[in-house]
Amino acid sequence: MSEVALLQVIGLCVVGIGVAILLFIKARFLRVVGFVVIVLGIFALIALGVPQMASLPPAEEVFDVASIKTPADMAAIGQKIFFSKGQCALCHSIGPSEAARCPDLKGIGAKLTREFLYESLTQPQAYIYKDFRHEGPPKDYPARMPYINKNPIGLSNNEILSVIAFLQQMSGESITVSPSEIVQPVKTAAVMQVAHAR
Amino acid sequence: MNNHGEQRGRIAGFLRGRVWSLTGLGILIGFLGLPALGLAEEAATASAAVAYRDIPQLGGSRNIIWVVAQLHLLLGGFVLGVPIFAWVCEIVGWKTGEKRYDKLAKEFTKLLTSSYATTALFGGILLFLLIGLYPKLMAYLTDVFFPAFVLYCVLFLVETVTLYLYWYGWDAMPDGGLKGLHLFLGFLLNVFAFFIMIVPNSWATFQASPVVITEGSSLARAWAATWNPTWWPVNVHRLIANVVLGGFICGAYAGVRYLMVTTAEERNHYDWMGYVGNFIGVFGMLPLPFAGYWLMREVYQYNQQMGITLMGGFLSWLFILQAMLIGVLFLGANYYFWLGITYRIPGAEVKYRRPIMAMLVILLLCLGVWMTPHSLVASLEEARKLGGTHHPLLGVFGVMSAKMTVANLMILVTFMSFIMYWRAGKQETATWAKVARAVMGGVLGVAALVVIVLGVWGYFVPAITRINYFSVAQVLIVLFVLLTITPLTAVLLRSAKTTSEMVWGRMPPRAGYALVLNAVMVILLMTLMGYARSSSRVHWHIYGVMRDSSQYAYSPALGYAAAFMSLNTFLFCLMVAFIFWVATMGDKGKASIRGAKS
Repeated sequence: MSEVALLQVIGLCVVGIGVAILLFIKARFLRVVGFVVIVLGIFALIALGVPQMASLPPAEEVFDVASIKTPADMAAIGQKIFFSKGQCALCHSIGPSEAARCPDLKGIGAKLTREFLYESLTQPQAYIYKDFRHEGPPKDYPARMPYINKNPIGLSNNEILSVIAFLQQMSGESITVSPSEIVQPVKTAAVMQVAHAR
Repeated sequence: MNNHGEQRGRIAGFLRGRVWSLTGLGILIGFLGLPALGLAEEAATASAAVAYRDIPQLGGSRNIIWVVAQLHLLLGGFVLGVPIFAWVCEIVGWKTGEKRYDKLAKEFTKLLTSSYATTALFGGILLFLLIGLYPKLMAYLTDVFFPAFVLYCVLFLVETVTLYLYWYGWDAMPDGGLKGLHLFLGFLLNVFAFFIMIVPNSWATFQASPVVITEGSSLARAWAATWNPTWWPVNVHRLIANVVLGGFICGAYAGVRYLMVTTAEERNHYDWMGYVGNFIGVFGMLPLPFAGYWLMREVYQYNQQMGITLMGGFLSWLFILQAMLIGVLFLGANYYFWLGITYRIPGAEVKYRRPIMAMLVILLLCLGVWMTPHSLVASLEEARKLGGTHHPLLGVFGVMSAKMTVANLMILVTFMSFIMYWRAGKQETATWAKVARAVMGGVLGVAALVVIVLGVWGYFVPAITRINYFSVAQVLIVLFVLLTITPLTAVLLRSAKTTSEMVWGRMPPRAGYALVLNAVMVILLMTLMGYARSSSRVHWHIYGVMRDSSQYAYSPALGYAAAFMSLNTFLFCLMVAFIFWVATMGDKGKASIRGAKS
């Protein structure tokens, strides 16, 4: 017997008990209980009568850096990180969107250098705009961008580089991040130094 | 006889003592839970080695949490809804001088004591279970929200103190300035209760619509997470829903007592109480769909995919069930009004028979449209014959434009039922009465027409135009009707002559069952929408941030979920019945002793 059929039998039994209470029992409170039982049983039976669709979770993806051979591989992984672990799409859109709460990233890989992108992700307060939309001296306009390399998001350096590769590819630019950087921590540190030097 | 009465009184006193013990126990559990918060905070900094624990012998961790969390939420809704209900009744009693309102308010405040302890008890159980069964999730949430946890404990403390003062001070502050002070305590009770509701709302809404948290102090991070996009829509929706729940549960209680009482005096009292409960329930129910609409809009704005999962994905059939429950609730509430007109107001039955029939037909037609699914359940062969899964005629009613229109029309009809009941048995004497009636009729007629025109027009414009302008306009028009006709009727009836006095205690037994049905519908709706909100996160504990990687990451189908909804509703009804029984046992004992002495 399938789960739905079993639940339908239980539902029918519940309604039957409610009807029996109403037919044979005079105590008012128990009659009310019988009435409630009938209503709940009918509700469950109706719900069992509509299409039964469960939502199954997709298979969990593992970002295996060892499988990265080309810049395009990096961009593909970067895209997945952008929309999942990186949580970038919580605030940013790619293209105009009413839902976006932060800057649209369409074409961002063409507008900004990879160093600037890296700095924006790891030190979002390092270069901040001035707010001139009021009288008097301009105010600092602190970014609401979180530190992507720290908790709670906590992307690794490899993952950040992959996201940069995705942003460049998505903007029609050639990818300047090399897969060799993934496996050479010294070069990654060099990128960090460039970012700090700015 | 005398001994028997005294014995009952002693039993009642004994149980009353236990009620306070239970209250104390609940609070004690709450404080005992405080170290658990500390432990949870420590767990947040350490890496959580265990992500999940399970108790498969009890149905699995997800099902255990489902039942306990749902019961806690329903009890919480009741505990937060009743103070609003009681305070409003106390104000009405104070302003009008009618002691029965004050008595009703006191009767319901008494229920708070035992229900408060039960709610706290379930909150404590839920907390321990969550820490034990979902340590990784709780570690994350504690890391983000720890300051809010502390605030919640403080709020719980001040709410408890205020409740004690409000309850024990009732007879000590009967009139004059002291009554004003007592009303202020009632106000404070509701303010604290409101904050007790919105603080945990932020945790739940953060799970559904998280925002990225920047660096900063614990307080700044908790504050940032609290201000997530669906926090305020859920706060407003739950606040109104709690009023509705409180009102209809009061109505159900009165309905059950009405069926059980034997004396005419008690029949009159519980008939009147049923009327008040139904009135407050309907009063809250009218704006509730607007709050729900706002919430859905925010969900779509936040994440279109989540909105689609809800309205067009695997949860779309859930909204057909929701329509059915809301439709039955509207019918039940209207039916109770119509019974009131027929039985309580002599001579009104004949006068209002035709309008009642017309309203019933409109309600049924609207319900039919609302319940029409967008896609039909059809086999491949049937779908081929239809030319798709959309019915050529009925498919037109399956879209949002039709559903928004009929929902607004049902609100208008229910509002007119209430106005009709209000005006029945009275004759307006004001010189401008004729003009006022014409204006009210005109406003209602034009509003209904514009709602329908906008609904039909909605088929021919882009969805974004319909959602942003047409649907909003429909809501505003209906609100305009509510806000103009209500005060106009109140002013008109101030000088009206009563032609038929309302006679209480003449309602047939089915009126009591109608009140019980309304309460069951509201509770079922809350369980249904709880499932919708939780399932819209699909396989995420925190949407897009923390994935559910347990064996229970799937969302169950509607039939399975409905079985749990029915179970939870039944358990909640039993608990409320028990609370009412325990709380009123003392009164029965006192009445027996008084009867024996006299």
